[in-house]
Amino acid sequence: MTALALASSLPDRRRLAGISIPFAAVVGSMAVGLLLIAASGKSVPDAIDAFLDGAFGTAFAFGASVNRAVALSLVGLGFILAFRANLTNVGGEGQIAVGGIAAAALALWPPIAGLPLGLAVIVPLLGGTLAGAFWGGIAGFMKVKFGTNEVISTLLLGFVALLMVYWCVQSTALLRQPQTSSATLPESLPIPDPTKLPGLTGDSESPLHVGLIICLVLAVVTAVVLQRSTFGLRLRAIGLNELAARRAGMPGGVLLVVALAIAGAFGGLAGAIMLQGEQYYLKTGFSSGYGFDGLVVGLLSRGSTVGVLAGALFFGFLRSGGISMEIMAGVPAALTLVIQGLIVIAVAGSVILVDKLERGSR
Amino acid sequence: MEETFAIFLASTLRLAMPLMLAASGELVSERSGVLNLSLEGMMLTAAFFGALGSWATGDPYLGVGCAILAALCVAAVQAWLSVNLRANQLVVGIGFNILALGATTLLYRIIFGGLSREEIPGLPKLAVPGLSDLPFAGTAFFQQSVIVYVGLGLIVLIWVMLNHTSFGLAVRAVGDEPRSADKAGIPVAATRWRAVLVTGFMAGVAGAFISIADIHTFTENMTNGAGYLALAAVIFGGWNVGRTIAACLLFGAATALQFQLPAMGINVPTAFLLMLPYLLALLAVAGVVGRLEPPTSLTLPFQRGK
Repeated sequence: MTALALASSLPDRRRLAGISIPFAAVVGSMAVGLLLIAASGKSVPDAIDAFLDGAFGTAFAFGASVNRAVALSLVGLGFILAFRANLTNVGGEGQIAVGGIAAAALALWPPIAGLPLGLAVIVPLLGGTLAGAFWGGIAGFMKVKFGTNEVISTLLLGFVALLMVYWCVQSTALLRQPQTSSATLPESLPIPDPTKLPGLTGDSESPLHVGLIICLVLAVVTAVVLQRSTFGLRLRAIGLNELAARRAGMPGGVLLVVALAIAGAFGGLAGAIMLQGEQYYLKTGFSSGYGFDGLVVGLLSRGSTVGVLAGALFFGFLRSGGISMEIMAGVPAALTLVIQGLIVIAVAGSVILVDKLERGSR
Repeated sequence: MEETFAIFLASTLRLAMPLMLAASGELVSERSGVLNLSLEGMMLTAAFFGALGSWATGDPYLGVGCAILAALCVAAVQAWLSVNLRANQLVVGIGFNILALGATTLLYRIIFGGLSREEIPGLPKLAVPGLSDLPFAGTAFFQQSVIVYVGLGLIVLIWVMLNHTSFGLAVRAVGDEPRSADKAGIPVAATRWRAVLVTGFMAGVAGAFISIADIHTFTENMTNGAGYLALAAVIFGGWNVGRTIAACLLFGAATALQFQLPAMGINVPTAFLLMLPYLLALLAVAGVVGRLEPPTSLTLPFQRGK
């Protein structure tokens, strides 16, 4: 009996050891952050107060943090789906950008705002999703057709997409608001109210929107697809050994394109949600680095849906807290970038160690 | 017209220089199988510490030294993580870019305070006797900061090293066939380490060029994507030194045109010119402009017996 209990507790202990390293990385990086605050001559308690206040303190702060986490989760979920097929999607930033462009273009097209039954919200969301899928699909197509490494193609496509946003908001023929004076900013018009994502709480203070529900539903779907569906199994097969999977009769090329298109769709949806849920108009740099953060969230989760959600929440709160720290305690928000960078590097560097711990030392 | 052309040449070279330096260094590392997405971070770190060193010591040459040292430190950690710890090179690279942006911004605010535009001692310009008086190309090519001439020399050195030395041969071997290279007695890890350090050194010179030789100050995120552009140049250059340098000049020219074309009354969207380098690199990797093969083991860590 005791032997049985011991045996069943072993994997848990190993798993715990595996989780302890990212945890240590987070704690260590936060400690470095605190040291930096002290070194810059600012008050550490004030900074912590400001951080907590900005991250959770008010309904507004909490909602903004969760909204941020929603965007990061979506990119992260797309990432782990494609990663199951051994595809690394580095283009989240660009997929957010094209999603945002498509959603903005549709939301600003007059007939859309008049659509009934919530279609005014849904159509731009779908448009953004499709645009992202297309953008990710290009990389998949290039991989199958020309053998182009998807790391390189998604990265390059990302930069092209970011410059497309720039192009769209610079040109009045595209999405730039009508230029009434030389002071007119290079931005699109704000999207009409009916196309905005509805709030979730009814509290006008809270920016929390239904994106959260969409995100949670998709997280469950992703988990089910990855663990319980034939499609998930096929992705895994093609990721482990492409040749063997093809020999076994799986449509290898199609699967690769679909996997990257899905990853892109998640990014595009994240872009549409960011636009319709919070930002309301398109401007340069609108993707805010969420694509890269989302990739990091996806990678650090080691393929687990729960891991994606947890990582996204953590980074979401970190960013919000950082901004508040700058405003209220005079500590540059760049500090949160330092913490985030350190966490990413430490966790990425400790992968072998984690693997060893999880497998038990051999 | 002639004057416009001279300005165009000068700004092309000015914009292409950091790309050429960084890309030629990155090329060595990629040929050995290590992709440094952290190139952007290395350059930004170098630009900051170069500016800091130059400002603190009053000597721009010491500043260049600081820049190179700082970039080498980043490169050493990158090499340790990618080669010894077999970490995911992309994630490490992204991590470094986030860290470098955060750390340089933070340190800049702490040391220089607010958004000051403190001028730092810059490098002198050196006119090559005789040649600098040439019509229109003279000022563009032969009246440049010392670092430009040294940098061009370093790039030639890299070409020689990669193609005509046993180190270059080892680099290419571990990048394409690490297993065979290992069996042939070539130390895979050590070769990759050195190659990444070469990248760090060149990224250091590139960063120093931007802050000390070109702008004479540090501004937040001053590299502004030059590192990524250099990565695109390596891809468009097909992992070949000559073509990569040509790609950098082309990218520099495309960026320079955004200021030149409007002056000449030609209306091309700036966004398109800025996008051009990435589009060209995309076409290149798609095989539209001749077949390009990245080093076989690019981004793949090596572990003996696996």
